[in-house]
Amino acid sequence: MSAPILEIEDLCAEVGGKQIIKDFNLTINEGEVHAIMGPNGAGKSTLSYVLCGKSGYKVTSGSVRFKGKDLLSMSTEERAREGIFLIMQYPVEIPGVPSTTFLKHAVNAVRQHQGLPELDTMEFLKMVREEGRKLGIDNEMLKRPINVGFSGGEKKRMEALEMTILKPSFAILDEADSGLDIDAMKVVADSVNALRDNKRAMLIITHFQRLLNYVEPDYVHIFANGHIVKTGDKHLAVELEQNGYAEYVKEN
Amino acid sequence: MPLLSDKTYLYTELAQEKGVVLPTPKTEAWKYTRLRDLLNTEYQLCPSTDKTGSLPPFEADVIHIGNGWVVGELPRIEGVSLSFITETMEKTQHPFALMNAAYLTQGLKIEISGKLKRPLLLNYFVVPEDKNYFYHFRNQIICHENSSAEIIEQFTYEGAVKSCYFANIVNEIRIEANAKLHHYKYQNEAFKANHIALHKVAISQSGEYESFCLQKGANIARNETEIALNGEGAEAVVNAAYMMNGWATLDTTTNIYHYVPHTKSSQLIKGVIGGTAHGVFQGRIHIAPNAIQTTGTQLHKAILLSDEAEIDVKPELEIFADDVKCSHGAASGELDKEQLFYMRSRGIGEEEAKQILINAYLTDTITQISDERVREWFKILITG
Ligand SMILES: Nc1ncnc2c1ncn2[C@@H]1O[C@H](COP(=O)(O)OP(=O)(O)OP(=O)(O)O)[C@@H](O)[C@H]1O
Ligand SMILES: [Mg+2]
Repeated sequence: MSAPILEIEDLCAEVGGKQIIKDFNLTINEGEVHAIMGPNGAGKSTLSYVLCGKSGYKVTSGSVRFKGKDLLSMSTEERAREGIFLIMQYPVEIPGVPSTTFLKHAVNAVRQHQGLPELDTMEFLKMVREEGRKLGIDNEMLKRPINVGFSGGEKKRMEALEMTILKPSFAILDEADSGLDIDAMKVVADSVNALRDNKRAMLIITHFQRLLNYVEPDYVHIFANGHIVKTGDKHLAVELEQNGYAEYVKEN
Repeated sequence: MPLLSDKTYLYTELAQEKGVVLPTPKTEAWKYTRLRDLLNTEYQLCPSTDKTGSLPPFEADVIHIGNGWVVGELPRIEGVSLSFITETMEKTQHPFALMNAAYLTQGLKIEISGKLKRPLLLNYFVVPEDKNYFYHFRNQIICHENSSAEIIEQFTYEGAVKSCYFANIVNEIRIEANAKLHHYKYQNEAFKANHIALHKVAISQSGEYESFCLQKGANIARNETEIALNGEGAEAVVNAAYMMNGWATLDTTTNIYHYVPHTKSSQLIKGVIGGTAHGVFQGRIHIAPNAIQTTGTQLHKAILLSDEAEIDVKPELEIFADDVKCSHGAASGELDKEQLFYMRSRGIGEEEAKQILINAYLTDTITQISDERVREWFKILITG
């Protein structure tokens, strides 16, 4: 039996003075892929921000352990350096910062934390270009300020590139599939699958079963009313696609 | 009254002596700039020094100005005639320019008649030795018809970081028909020092003035640019960036006068203000009644890094002509929280993330600098 990588216990959290996460429990073990599905506004993105320590997202009770360590006491950057990565539903544009420059800062920050030397610039560029090419990101795009003016799908590809390069041990994909055309979905799914191994784990937030056809989850959870209301295997996603959430949202 | 080198003088008393009225908090053109620390300090006349400041990483013809005195002989430069000045070119009402003239340390006349191959660097340097020195330096820069030149002013210091020395600089610049002057300035005075500079520029037909000023140092600093576009086709670019911390006051003032048709001016000024520092931007664009088909643009932006940081902005458009393109804009705010979170969520530390955002924010002020080596130099000064 593999060790737990993420243990969330009785988590309650609020944003803007409103309680969104209520008594949330979930344990994810090394090597596992979990999917979370749930209605709009349920709090899926809120959960991912809480796990990344975004300011304004306040944990009121409960605990989260990541590889045995208390996650909630770490800063956002410490969490990232420890191996948490979030593909954001809405990636942020940063004018004036070329994508490669951004990636280099990120990679070196994580490497420094791991006690590794900075990457040689030439080596780094070669690696970024190669991984970029696999994701349909050309050199021109790599020179542009990160995410600025990128189309919805291009932003998601860039997120996937960042993930590929940072090699996190735990990746949260918050609607990584939204905005992607059918071919791009496959390409991004390939990058996710390439990362998948028996040490790493993933949490995939999605509204559609399609991504889960490419990245097969071990568990599918339904998130409503602030916590998980039902857990099943990949067939649950198929069932949801047919019946919707009505049955689960009614709960209380 | 010749000043005695071993005596100290209150600046206000020196002004009284010559009948110069220094600004008070009620003086309109100076109302945002707290001058108290500057005016109520006792100064001593700066003695000359042989020491010189370090040089930027590119080739240039250099004039070292130590404590307000030219060090050594004036260099011989093809296309340039250099001499010391004896009198000022123009009348002015500017209080510090009047003081500069009344108590001039030294001044240079720089006449440019050719197309200069290398930048001319005026390398100002102060060795304050714990004393509160003051110096007044003035340049008369005359760019004759069809000439082109690049002049860089660098202000640095050595040792005694706590001294409150005062540098008062005036540049009278005349750009004749079809002449080009690229004028760049880097101000990094000691953190308790004061620095007041006035650039008075007159541009004739099809003349070009391209400028950029980076201010990082001093306790009280003002960089003021006054431009008269006197000939059709004259153009001026007045860009600047400033970075300040502690309790500094840093003022960027521009007054641009379009007197004739078909003239063009643009200004992009950006600042980053931390600590309890206080930024000031005053920008005037004046378009005279007959000056049709002129373009004047102005944009000032500031980032406030702390709750106590302050910015005062006063744009003034005086447009008396029809058929002109004129715009101004101002914005101030904090670093973007979403951008900071995004960077930190990728492992980049908070301080590093802030620095990256600040650099990105300021670098578009240097994109117009024509000389690539100078642009690179400023880029390093901004990021370093
Ligand atoms: N800053 C805020 N202030 C107040 N309410 C907020 C704030 N941020 C989020 N919310 C609310 O929290 C709830 C959960 O939002 P969240 O983005 O987590 O939903 P979601 O499950 O990701 O939805 P979707 O499927 O549409 O992406 C929503 O009702 C949202 O309006
Ligand atoms: Mg969401």
